[in-house]
Amino acid sequence: MSLRLKLLLLGLLTLVLPWGGCRYARQMEAALREGERNSLQAVAQTIAASLQGRTDLLYREREDAAQSQPAQETAESQIPASGDPGAPVNGPPATSGEGERTSGGSQPARSAEGQTAQAAPPESQSTPYDLQPVMLSAPPFLDGYGDEWPRAPGSWRYYVKDKHRFGILTGVYERSLYTLLEVEDAHLVYDTPGANPLDPTAMGDRIWVGMQDPQGHERQVFLAPTGPGSVTARRIEIGEYGQQSAVDEPRIVGALQPTTLGYRVEIRVPLSMIGRSFGVLVDDREMRGAQPVSYGTLRSDDLHTVGRLIVSAPELTGYLAQFMQPGLRLAVTTASGRQLARADALAQVTELSRQQRGILARFYRRFVDRPGDRTHIESTAPIYDRDHREIIGYLQATETGDRWFLLRDRALTQMLNFTLITSAVAVIAMFAFAAWLALRLSRLRRASESALTREGLVTTFPETESPDELGDVARGFSTLLGRLNEYTGYLRTLAGKLAHEIRTPLTIVRSSLDNLESEQVPTAARIYLDRARQGSERLNAILIAMGAATRVEEAISNAERSHFDLIAVIASAADAYRIAFPERNFVAELPSEPVMIGGAPDLIVQMLDKLIDNAVDFSPAGANIVIRLRLESSHTAVLEVDNPGPVIAPDILGRLFESLWQSRAGGTESDSRPHFGLGLYIVRLIAEFHGGSAAAANLPDDTGARFTVRLARH
Amino acid sequence: MKRQVAIVEDEPAIRDNYAAAFTREGYLVRTYGNRKQAMAAFSTRLPDLAVIDISLEEEPEGGFELCRQLRSLSPELPIIFLTARDSELDAVSGLRLGADDFLTKDLSLPHLIARVNALFRRVDALRRPHETSQVIRRGPLMIDGERMQVEWEGKVVLLSLTEFWIVHALARNPGHVKNRQQLMDAANVVLDDNTITSHIKRIRRKFQSIDPTFDGVQTVYGMGYRWVE
Repeated sequence: MSLRLKLLLLGLLTLVLPWGGCRYARQMEAALREGERNSLQAVAQTIAASLQGRTDLLYREREDAAQSQPAQETAESQIPASGDPGAPVNGPPATSGEGERTSGGSQPARSAEGQTAQAAPPESQSTPYDLQPVMLSAPPFLDGYGDEWPRAPGSWRYYVKDKHRFGILTGVYERSLYTLLEVEDAHLVYDTPGANPLDPTAMGDRIWVGMQDPQGHERQVFLAPTGPGSVTARRIEIGEYGQQSAVDEPRIVGALQPTTLGYRVEIRVPLSMIGRSFGVLVDDREMRGAQPVSYGTLRSDDLHTVGRLIVSAPELTGYLAQFMQPGLRLAVTTASGRQLARADALAQVTELSRQQRGILARFYRRFVDRPGDRTHIESTAPIYDRDHREIIGYLQATETGDRWFLLRDRALTQMLNFTLITSAVAVIAMFAFAAWLALRLSRLRRASESALTREGLVTTFPETESPDELGDVARGFSTLLGRLNEYTGYLRTLAGKLAHEIRTPLTIVRSSLDNLESEQVPTAARIYLDRARQGSERLNAILIAMGAATRVEEAISNAERSHFDLIAVIASAADAYRIAFPERNFVAELPSEPVMIGGAPDLIVQMLDKLIDNAVDFSPAGANIVIRLRLESSHTAVLEVDNPGPVIAPDILGRLFESLWQSRAGGTESDSRPHFGLGLYIVRLIAEFHGGSAAAANLPDDTGARFTVRLARH
Repeated sequence: MKRQVAIVEDEPAIRDNYAAAFTREGYLVRTYGNRKQAMAAFSTRLPDLAVIDISLEEEPEGGFELCRQLRSLSPELPIIFLTARDSELDAVSGLRLGADDFLTKDLSLPHLIARVNALFRRVDALRRPHETSQVIRRGPLMIDGERMQVEWEGKVVLLSLTEFWIVHALARNPGHVKNRQQLMDAANVVLDDNTITSHIKRIRRKFQSIDPTFDGVQTVYGMGYRWVE
């Protein structure tokens, strides 16, 4: 992995910043939400406190009535005792006691002022006869079909007597109470159309609607259908002389439709007519004029209500509305959680939410939002009674998250923008820095690779001026190279120095021997004199050989470049070799055209001499030595010298041209010349002087060696 | 009267060996170990010939300085540099200072004595009236074997003794290739290839300073050199 990639990966670590930012945004959101919740809680508690004891608003109970609770205890206890009620499915028997009530005469009693039923206990003491209307979101169309009613199975109440049964669902919309009745009745009996509704013989199935009016008087109306469709509600009035008459009650509207099991009735009653209690009684007759089976939530004898209508005053909604603001919903529920009133502005667009969320913000949201996040906050505060003893209801406040969402989005967007830009800048900066470092390192590497040149070591090194660690490395390299240079310089001149130093004592020896020649020497001693002379001559030859490279270098530095034909030089030299080495067969393969190069022909010949010396030394007598010149390109001429003989081990091929290096195995017996491994080094020096290079290889069929010299053409 | 040869050499063994050889040859030999001694002696009496080492005791270039001083005392005095150094630069410097020859110490004593004799012969020849018996003429080239002097187009070419002998060997048989060994034998020296090459180069340069179109010494690559007319 390159330095660049590593640092790039390191740079990617800065992506922790946006990640941390997201975490922070979440926490901030949680804190905001907490704060919102607290403030909402405060709002809820404030409103709840303002509603403390307001049973008039919550349950339409007058304050004085609520205060006279003890008195109402008795009334309460009487309720179950009176009459034999139709049994509600889930509770004690309700009302009814049919006989008396259905006798027409008893009717006035019904309409008489009932006992002023005192305010029922709050919700906590509910009875099975209490009706809890649902909040309707739209007014049902009164047609007897009940299609518009919400499907709320839990809100149905059922009342049963013998085989008879009906279900009731009540609902409130604005200032009206809607009632839906599903009556199971095998025989739907209509009143005789046109007959006096009070005529017992004309009576069919009837529905009594009873209520305590706001003043506490019991009122009843009855619906006597004469056919499907709308049903007129009537109340019984007693005239001046005691006569009864059925008067239309236009405020109450009803409609009936038969069903497969019986019939369905929808009734609308203005809430203004209803006090604290409300009830429905069904008179089921098998035939007109027959004794009815009465059951429901009115006492069958006097048709007084036994169950309360637990519904808030219409003013409660208005009261809540004054606290409203967009994005807020307030609801008052009973202590058991049923909703009494509601003011809903949740869907209203707030000023903040109207601002469009940016694309970036929406994009960022994906990283921050968790699936479980709720977009609303809710808060509930209990509403106590006047004495702060009992909970009479709850206030629920719900608020949309728009506000904190937007605040969070704004902060999140800014922060993420900032951190992402920071990351990008960091990554780019790191990459650039890595590239720069890599560049410097590769410069160092190149410099160190090319530090070893023919002229010696290059001690001028890049980066040595830098004050950082790379500079230290470069300086270290530079120092090392300097020392190495001194050392190699010493080694390079060692041979020359050695030759120089040995020359003086050798001269002493030789001049002494020369002098000795002139002296009278016994014949026996002359042998030794000759040997000493031979030895000193060899020593002298060694000295000359040792200085050869130095002299070639000197010759190269003093050489004059000229333009000459390489072929003429090589051909001439080849002729000389034929004379000099008659035991070898020289084959010159030369191009027909002149090959002009720039350089020193003397040096070329000297180089060829060394190559031929080498070829002769390593080839057997009678061998063919090939001197080949070919043109590799318009810039390069290639001189090859092939000789049969031993192959060169691959590992030494590359080192053959180094100074003072040789692989001669002790030298051949006939070879008395000293070898210092300078011959091929001289070849290399001269090749390089001519802008070329020298290389050694074995012949393709491994029958010998091939030395190749490339020379630049001009 | 015996000719006096001065040997300035800081290595006593070599000095004494040389002195012995010259004495045996019939010369009067004076030896000096350093430049001061030598100059003190030379200022009172000049030798007939001086053999000087380049590095003298603590003076690495003392021989050059001595040569310069000696040359200023006598323009004609034969001076031979004999040194352990064999660098081209030293040879050029020495010859430029007016030395008659520049020899390395691998030269054998007989060879050295041959040179000294030759130089004395030349001195004698220069003093005598001009003789033509030893003269070789090759076109614009005139070689006076007696005076060891070469003229080109009538102008004297100042060659060292070694160079003279090389030119002499080449010009005697024009067109014949003389290989390096033959040239070395003629010049009474043992030299390596590069030294021969630089001698040839110097000879060419000296001729070319008189006649820039000079091309009398030709290289036969791989074999040697020849004189062409």
